[in-house]
Amino acid sequence: MIRSFLTLLAALTFWAMPATAQENSGPLRLEITEGVIEPMPFAVPDLVAESAQARDLATRIARVIAADLSGTGLFREIPAEAHIGRITNFDSPVQFADWRAINAQALVTGAVSLDGAGRVVVKFRIHDVFAGQELGRGQQLVGEEDGWRRIAHKVADQVYSRITGEGGYFDSRVVFVSESGPKGERAKRLAIVDYDGANLRYLTDASTIVLAPRFSPTGDRVLYTSYETGFPRIYLLDVADVGRRALPTLDGTMSFAPRFSPDGRTVLYSLTQGGNTDLYTMDIASGASVRLTNAPSIETAPSYSPDGSRIVFESDRSGSPQLYIMEARGGEAQRISFGRGRYGTPVWSPRGDLVAFTKQAEGRFHIGVMRTDGSEERLLTASFLDEGPTWAPNGRVIMFTRETRGEQGEARLYTVDITGRNLRQVPTNGGASDPSWGPLQE
Amino acid sequence: MPRVNTGQIISGTAHLAVIGWVFFGGVLQSDPPQVEVVEAVAVSSEEYAAIMARQSAPEAAADVDTPEPPEAGEAAPALSSGTDAAPEVNRPEVSDTPPPDARPEAPERPAPAPTDVTDTPPALTAPSEDTAALVPETSLRPQPRPAPRVAPEPVAPSEPDVRVDDVARPEVAPEEGADAVEDQQEATAPEEATTEIVTEAERPETPVPTASVRPRARPTRLAEAEADTETATAPPEPTPPEPTPPDTDRDAVSDALAAALGQDSAPAERRPSGPPLSAGEKDALRVAVQQCWNVGSLSSDALATTVVVAVSMAETGKPEMSSIRMLSHTGGSASAAQQAYEAARRAIIRCGADGFDLPQEKYAQWRDIEMTFNPEKMRIK
Repeated sequence: MIRSFLTLLAALTFWAMPATAQENSGPLRLEITEGVIEPMPFAVPDLVAESAQARDLATRIARVIAADLSGTGLFREIPAEAHIGRITNFDSPVQFADWRAINAQALVTGAVSLDGAGRVVVKFRIHDVFAGQELGRGQQLVGEEDGWRRIAHKVADQVYSRITGEGGYFDSRVVFVSESGPKGERAKRLAIVDYDGANLRYLTDASTIVLAPRFSPTGDRVLYTSYETGFPRIYLLDVADVGRRALPTLDGTMSFAPRFSPDGRTVLYSLTQGGNTDLYTMDIASGASVRLTNAPSIETAPSYSPDGSRIVFESDRSGSPQLYIMEARGGEAQRISFGRGRYGTPVWSPRGDLVAFTKQAEGRFHIGVMRTDGSEERLLTASFLDEGPTWAPNGRVIMFTRETRGEQGEARLYTVDITGRNLRQVPTNGGASDPSWGPLQE
Repeated sequence: MPRVNTGQIISGTAHLAVIGWVFFGGVLQSDPPQVEVVEAVAVSSEEYAAIMARQSAPEAAADVDTPEPPEAGEAAPALSSGTDAAPEVNRPEVSDTPPPDARPEAPERPAPAPTDVTDTPPALTAPSEDTAALVPETSLRPQPRPAPRVAPEPVAPSEPDVRVDDVARPEVAPEEGADAVEDQQEATAPEEATTEIVTEAERPETPVPTASVRPRARPTRLAEAEADTETATAPPEPTPPEPTPPDTDRDAVSDALAAALGQDSAPAERRPSGPPLSAGEKDALRVAVQQCWNVGSLSSDALATTVVVAVSMAETGKPEMSSIRMLSHTGGSASAAQQAYEAARRAIIRCGADGFDLPQEKYAQWRDIEMTFNPEKMRIK
């Protein structure tokens, strides 16, 4: 009787708990849906100097690498004072326990040498400290000694790309309008710097007003607007030799807001003729223009999509400045901005998924992004005057102009992550506005 | 002139007669009521008291019919202060040693093999490492009372799920050529019997180990697994099997569990089992991993990728680094999946460096874990 009772009880128990029986038959399964968003701790000890002449260079390169990574807001450097382990030989095994002890999750090791011909040779490796293994394979870069910063940026780009899965943007440059003098009489000239503000170089003098420089897709040319003739006109400048030429236009017209096509052969711009502003394209080689829009409203600030098939631009055809998208050859435009306020200066992301813009609403200016269909609008910044966004080559960071209020107000360049975090000022020599972020250098 | 008829004459005559009887018959005269005359007698107070006393006392009946006294019968039972005698009941006859039951005949069933039962407790065999016990460490399962019978010869334990019937019935077998379908009847099982009476004091210790041996971690390679399996299944020495005391209840439960799970009851095929992790224990593990799952450095493409990561755990609660691997990924490119997987791997290793807080007694439940890292909530909104 007891056996029968126990048998029945056991059978009923397992009949009532099939799920438990299933769980026992396989591994434990968990779903992790919430994590943390914080900078990844990393360490970049001084590179190993393989010659006495390279000792100073080894330290400076390590500092640039660390600054690049820390500046993204995605990484946090563990200072050298906290390091336990020492890297004295590039090929020696890494004692990961020493780096785990200080909670360094990524470790960059490298070595620097000079080849005797004035060239710098840098070798580096990226390590996943807690996994105790190397990420990818070690690489070696060679460059001129005076170009050591570019070598450091390239190393940082590799580290950034290997850990985040995104392309880097450290070995890139920015062209902008350098401003000096009082607010009512400011001198403006074109300047070019590394993305981090280093290596400033002026491209034009301050004899005339220049506006809205735009890098070519390859970074070797710059389009900009100049008032040299008294009317706004588009110029094409060669970055290497600073040579420039005006693009052909009709007399009595104003051309401005130029932008390169993705292939670099065509200029997309606005032309004001007879009091009406429309969009045009011009073949750079032949100077032939094609009209894209023909409306009584103002159409300006055009920007190509990365594949060159569409154009996003600003138009007040609805009564207030809003954003529209149309085919690259013209035609019917579709409005994508419907929020309260005025939208302008749209720029298509290099990834093609977002459009950055300037928004004025309730007395404040914002830099924001939205999907190309106008959805998921997000405002990243807010201030007295934020305007003129430009994308980093990897589409993760936006640079823009922020101008402060008052007679002593000054324009400066800032960067912000597309998450809205990590707002940083770009160091420039004086005022700066109208940035255009160039591509990664070859 | 009106005519006087006969009726009017008769009526007039009758009225006259009645009137005359009233006046002359004395109907209207009334006689005075007759008055009862009572003679008054003066009495003294003593006489009055005596009269009143006679009126208050009931009058005794002069003649009363008295019942006949009963005839003298049996003497009254003697009273006793002792307790009542217990009522007589039909009690079964008690015999010190019941005669051995005759072995029921079961011609169709094969005779069970005789079993050697010794008086000495069996030697405990060391359980193999992969053996898990269903019996808890502290409490022992109550065992049934031994049957107060001694069989003339050893009898094998009866089959489970049968009952002892009062009447021995042969097992029903279909008769060849029979047209009629007969109802299936349960076969009668032989009663349990033992070859000796073992008191509780003489009962041998239970052979169940007091603590289960932890199963070993999953081998990383199939070849090792097969080798381990062969090693585990091969007997170390060809020793004769030790007789084990019958544990029919446990066998019954085990058989029932195996039947419910659709498995054979062979002990070699039983998986290491134990109580499953509670929801709180799972949540604690999930939270522990989440604390180290840093997606801040992931690309937007990697943040759109869900990866499933498998990891084997040591008994200390630490993940075995060599066992961490990506099982699958969805929603992103292979490159993005690699970044997402590396972030997940860092989370497991970092927060498991000191061992996750997991219950040791449930190691079999968390030895192998599959974690799905879904960054949907962490994406840029």
